[in-house]
This record gives sequence, C-alpha cells and structure tokens, in this order.
Amino acid sequence: MKFWLINTLMVLSLIVSPQLLAQENPMKVGMSGQYFPFTFVEQDELKGFEVDIMNALGKEMGREIIFQTANFSGLFGLLGTGRIDTVANQITITEERQQAYIFSEPYVYDGAQVVVKQGNTEVQSVEDLKGKTVAVNLGSNFETLLRELPYADQINIKTYESNIERDTALGRVDAFVMDRISASQIIKDKPLPLALAGKAFSQITNAYPFQDTETGRALRDEVNQALRTLRENGTLASISEKWFGTDITQP
Amino acid sequence: MDVLNVEYMLGLVPVLLGYLPLTLQLAGVAMVMALILACVFAVVRVLGIPVLNQLTIVFISFFRGTPLLVQLFLFYYGLPQLFSVLTVIDGVTATIMGLTLHFSAYMAESIRAAIIGVDRSQTEAALSIGMTNSQLMRRIILPQATRVALPTLMNYFIDMIKATSLAFTLGVTELMGATQKEASGSFLYFEAFIVAAVMYWIVVEILSQLQKYLEIRLNKAYSR
Repeated sequence: MKFWLINTLMVLSLIVSPQLLAQENPMKVGMSGQYFPFTFVEQDELKGFEVDIMNALGKEMGREIIFQTANFSGLFGLLGTGRIDTVANQITITEERQQAYIFSEPYVYDGAQVVVKQGNTEVQSVEDLKGKTVAVNLGSNFETLLRELPYADQINIKTYESNIERDTALGRVDAFVMDRISASQIIKDKPLPLALAGKAFSQITNAYPFQDTETGRALRDEVNQALRTLRENGTLASISEKWFGTDITQP
Repeated sequence: MDVLNVEYMLGLVPVLLGYLPLTLQLAGVAMVMALILACVFAVVRVLGIPVLNQLTIVFISFFRGTPLLVQLFLFYYGLPQLFSVLTVIDGVTATIMGLTLHFSAYMAESIRAAIIGVDRSQTEAALSIGMTNSQLMRRIILPQATRVALPTLMNYFIDMIKATSLAFTLGVTELMGATQKEASGSFLYFEAFIVAAVMYWIVVEILSQLQKYLEIRLNKAYSR
C-alpha cells in the first residue's frame, strides 16, 4: 500500500514538473572573471554582461546557473573534460573551434566600426570613407582591414599611438575605426561628441560553445530557444544597454 | 602619478583574507603528503632497492624535468581525455596531487643528500652492534638527516605556497585567482596585487620564524 503511494507520487512528480526536474540539473558555466565589463569581480561578487545574460537564460530555462571561474587558458580544458557545460566569455566563433565544439546562436555581434563626430552626415558607412581621412591605432588589425578594402587607395589612413577618439571629436580626421564594443564604451564613458556610423563591417560573432555530444546538443538547443525568447522580449537588448549604452546583441 | 587608493586596498583585505585559508590548505596538505612520499623515495634511492630504485629515478626525472603548470594541465585536462572517469577529480584535489608529486621529486633528492651526508662510520657502528637496516634508519640516520634537511625542506614549502597561485588555471579560486578577478573589475592592479603580495609575505615570514625555532630545537644535541 505504502509502496503504491510512493511510486505514484514519484511518477507524478516526474510528469508534472519538468521545471522541478530541470532545477535539479544546473548548468555549469565557465568564465574568466577577468574581462571587464563582461565578467569581473567587485568585492567578491561576480558581475558583468555575461553574468546577467546567463542568469536571464537560466531563469528562462528553469535551470540554476553555477558559475565556475578559471584562468582563460583553462576554460576550454574544463569544457573539453565535461567539468563545465559551456563558456560565457565572449567566445568568437572560428573555424578551428567549430571543429571541436558546437556553438549556440550568436548573442554578441562585434566587428570593425566606423566612428565619426556627432552630426557628421557625410560618413554613414564604411563605403563613405572614400576620399576621407581615417584614424586607426598603430599596429591594430583595423589598419589591415582598411587596406584590404577595394577602394583603399582613396582613403587617407592615419596611424596614431593614442587619442584617435579625441582627434576625431576635434575634427582633425573624419573618422576612426575600432572594434564596435570598445567604440561603444568610449562613446558611453568619455564626454566626447562621437557617434557610430552605420553597421560594423567584417563582422565577428560570439556565442556559447558546447561539447558535441548528445547532452551537449540538447543543452545547446535549449539555450538557443531561451536566447530567441530573450531576444524577442527585449531582455538581451536591455542588458546590453545597461552595460554598453548600445545593443551589441543585434547584428 | 595617481595617489594610491588606500580605501580600496583596505576594503580588499577582508575579501582576500577569505581566500587565504584555501591557499594554506592546498600547500599544507600537499606538503605533508609530499614529505611522506619524498622520505620513501629517498630511502629507496639510498638503499638502492632494485626495480623500485629505477622507477623512482624515472619518477624524479619526469617531475623535476617538466614545469608544474604542464603537469597540472596534463593531469587535469589531458588524462581525462584518455580515461573519462578521471573527471571526478576536482580542481582542489588535482592541485594538491600536482603539488605533491612535483615537490616530492625535489624533496626526495634533498632528503637523500641529507642521508648521504651522515658520516659512514655511524652506519658501520650501528651495524656492528647488531641494528637492523630499519633500526639504523629510524634511530641513527633519519634524526641526523632531519636536521640537515630542514632548511631546504622549508624552502620547498615556501615555494609550494607560492606555487598554489597556479591553481586558478584549474578553476580553483585561491588568493591569487581572487586578486586577479578583483583587479580586473577595478583596474587598480597595483593596489590589488600589493595587498596579495603582503599576505603571501607575512605567511612566509611566519614560517621562517617557525623554521628558526625548529632549528634551535634540532641543534640542541650539538650546542654546548
């Protein structure tokens, strides 16, 4: 009699509460804790864009999120040995990584970004740089990117040791090129009259890597679904606005 | 130059102090285990026990011949690739194991040196009055060798405390890992790392005092 009751209760609990079941299956997420403002620690509290997005995902999926911090060099080892389920550390999708892991849909879109003085209507995309003077940081990848453009010979590229944003704000050059996220942060943090000109070019996308196993694939699908929901209901955008003053989760 | 942010440093002290026990636990447990292992290795080497002696030589050669970080990566991330059950080993255990194996190799050699350093006539005297090999070791050789080995063994313990700072690579947040994360949030690198440096320093200084005390005790038989 007793057994009958217990068995029924157990079966019922399994059927009725996938939510409850999921709670018992926490997702372990690795991050470095050393990449401001994505993941960092203040007075022993783990914070940042990655932490907020992950917690929102966990809530959506009905899973507890357990954060595991480790030096960046150890993160893929933790993932490869199954000690964590995924890495939330602005992992860029590359061909090499795709051979070893499967990726969720991107949740951050980054790339080379043209930045101009506020109110500049002449330059609204990378094509408009023809005949203009453009500042880049010396030795940065962005100089190479500009020189690879088909109309590179029509762009006057000026390399700087520093302060490209100041010279752009002063109007000494027409624009500068930098990665979009850093550029957004400069616009947010520094009192300079600057604005992003158009979309980022030569895009890079960052996503969550998972192990290419049955459980890895299932978890990836679950994360993808939650990402879609959070994208649609504006949660991704609002978390991005909070940290960067702009939406880096859209292409 | 900006002035030091003293307020930030003071705020960081209690936070980082919270991670000091784990640092000490990693080094303390590993030291005890390494000491036991090293004594066994040293005795095997001195007595030249066949097979075991050769195995010990290879062991010492490998663990002295490769960087600790390589060993930690190899055990924590490499071996589970071959034997998936090994993922049950957590970061703390793996760190302790790595420190134990690595430092036992060094310590075995310094203990062996201390044993060899005990004058041969003592062995002959002990054997002549009918002591067994194990009695000779326990009563005559090891007590004298301990005195000689103590300063170098303390050296390794101090080195081990500082080597725990590699543990964050295995996801173990000890003193160094906590400091790195705090510094990356505040960008106050100097302030954060100077607080950590002073903490390591104080711990090592306390150990040096302990060493002094132990040396005086072990020297009693020799002082007049």
